[in-house]
Amino acid sequence: MTTSLPIQAPVNSDTYLAFQSLLFKEARLLDTEEYQQWLDMLTDDIHYYMPVPARYLREEKGTEKTLEANVFNDYKPQLALRVSRFATSLVWSENPQNLIRHSVSNIEVFPTDTDGEWQVLSLVTVSRNRLDGDERRMLVSRTDTWRIEGDQVKLAKRHMLFNHTVVPDSNLNFFF
Amino acid sequence: MNKLDVSQLVDNKTGRQNRTIFHNQDIYEQEQEQIFGRCWLFLAHDSQIPEPGDYFRTFMGEDEVLVIRQKDQTVKVFLNTCTHRGNRVCKSDKGNAKSFTCSYHGWSFSGDGTLSGVPLEEDAYYNELDKTKFGLIPVAQVDSYKGLIFGNFDPKAPSLEDYLGNMKWYLDIWLDAMPEGTELIGTSQKVEYPVNWKLPVENACGDGYHIGWAHAGVMSVATSINIESLSLGNTSVDSSTAMAGAGMNGHSIISSLDGQSGFAFYPEPSVPVAYLEENRDTVISRLGKLRGEKFWGSQINMTIFPNVQMLPGLNWFRVYHPKGPDKMEMWTWAMVDKEMSDELKQTVLDNVCRTFGAAGMFDNDDGENFTACTSLNRGWQTRQNNVYTNMAMGKEYAHPEMPGVVSDGLVGEQNQRYFYRRWQEVMMANDWSSMPTYSTFDEAKATEAN
Repeated sequence: MTTSLPIQAPVNSDTYLAFQSLLFKEARLLDTEEYQQWLDMLTDDIHYYMPVPARYLREEKGTEKTLEANVFNDYKPQLALRVSRFATSLVWSENPQNLIRHSVSNIEVFPTDTDGEWQVLSLVTVSRNRLDGDERRMLVSRTDTWRIEGDQVKLAKRHMLFNHTVVPDSNLNFFF
Repeated sequence: MNKLDVSQLVDNKTGRQNRTIFHNQDIYEQEQEQIFGRCWLFLAHDSQIPEPGDYFRTFMGEDEVLVIRQKDQTVKVFLNTCTHRGNRVCKSDKGNAKSFTCSYHGWSFSGDGTLSGVPLEEDAYYNELDKTKFGLIPVAQVDSYKGLIFGNFDPKAPSLEDYLGNMKWYLDIWLDAMPEGTELIGTSQKVEYPVNWKLPVENACGDGYHIGWAHAGVMSVATSINIESLSLGNTSVDSSTAMAGAGMNGHSIISSLDGQSGFAFYPEPSVPVAYLEENRDTVISRLGKLRGEKFWGSQINMTIFPNVQMLPGLNWFRVYHPKGPDKMEMWTWAMVDKEMSDELKQTVLDNVCRTFGAAGMFDNDDGENFTACTSLNRGWQTRQNNVYTNMAMGKEYAHPEMPGVVSDGLVGEQNQRYFYRRWQEVMMANDWSSMPTYSTFDEAKATEAN
């Protein structure tokens, strides 16, 4: 006898697994610094955004009068510029290559009102092993919009929340 | 505490520093007392706390302070600690409050520091607590210069105006160029570096030498305007198009003199450059031809001793908070002219973040160098040695218009020498009356230690 669960999944399991596998592939490309392939996974109007977090009292949240500073506020040209900087071989802190791993979890996939677009939530933990065993871990939550373009599904928007009010490393020469 | 003798650890005549000053815990503690305890330290910009009750939580050295706008528009600054058992009274980065209530026993303090509420004052203290003796502990002196609010723990320190001395001539190139003045925008960007606080100050106060090499990656892909005084890979340098100024109580400046290269690293430099040209006549009428034509809009680094740096053009404003001999926190904002359009302000902020933010393509080159310059001194043998800022010794001169000790070019180490000279003087002086004071070439030379 089977009891059907009183839970409505937002998308079917095929869709869910397809996005999970897409996020894992993206994480692998970032781990192996296949940045051109990664850029190809992004739409031309990609917005890649991570504001700088701050601590305000709950009752004052949202009353901030100044502009929001950001860790990233990039469109494709800026992301491509960052990639071309890495490609110069003149970024001394990346040579020798740092060992980096992106671990993706807490994936949720939702349909949107726009046909061919999905909202995908996830967490990414980045572990980066640098000189002499120096290791940093950073945690970021991501709210993505993925969109069908031709025969591909591409990342159109990634808005991130950085889980660190004080950035714990002297460089972020990578992507989340 | 008996002061450590640092007279042999820095030698301005040979540009030498002993590496222990980047490592030794006792020297660090002495810095807290002698430097951060007596110098004017940046707290906030007027624009960050415009309304009565607005507050900003920050640091003076390792001491955590609350900067509060009063009802009469003056600013008061207090240690952010309860006078009862020592807990923090404010945990928010900034905001607006009528009072601050400690989360431990509920003591409550008004914005002017007065102890206004004590739970069980009658039942448990029997009304015997003299609340006037338990207000928040104030910082001795608070003053501001053209929007920048500073505090000083030392009641005997000279006035802020005197402390800044001739550096004001240079600071005004940004703070007083436009009639409305400046504002700081953007959430505080905080990055922790495993680095001694003096190294980034030394770097940005005068080190044009590292730019073409340390930043070669980003320089090769992002340069939109030619900065004549710098070149990729440090293959050549033209020192005639830039200046360095120091010898002003530890404050200093390096500047190109082309009037536009501050915006060299903008993706669309034509937008800010158009702003410069629209307003240049105004600035010339306010500051004169030399500052209005040659300085305003140029790539400039200004340093206020001990730990404030601002780069007009790239438009970042930064303070370095020491967190131990091998750790510091770097806080960065964008500083803009109030007259700029909202669109240009956003462009400036984005560019600050992209070049010198947490993922800034320039900043991300510096950290690992500073880290090694710090951490290698854990080696006992290593820190018995010296490091040097001895480039172009003796090339400085007195300029008829530019204050302080001046030399040519962005690539030089004059300013770093004067930074360490000031560090040594403040570390050694018993009080302000015995501290050398100099703001001109002649004064700087006359007060030089033998």
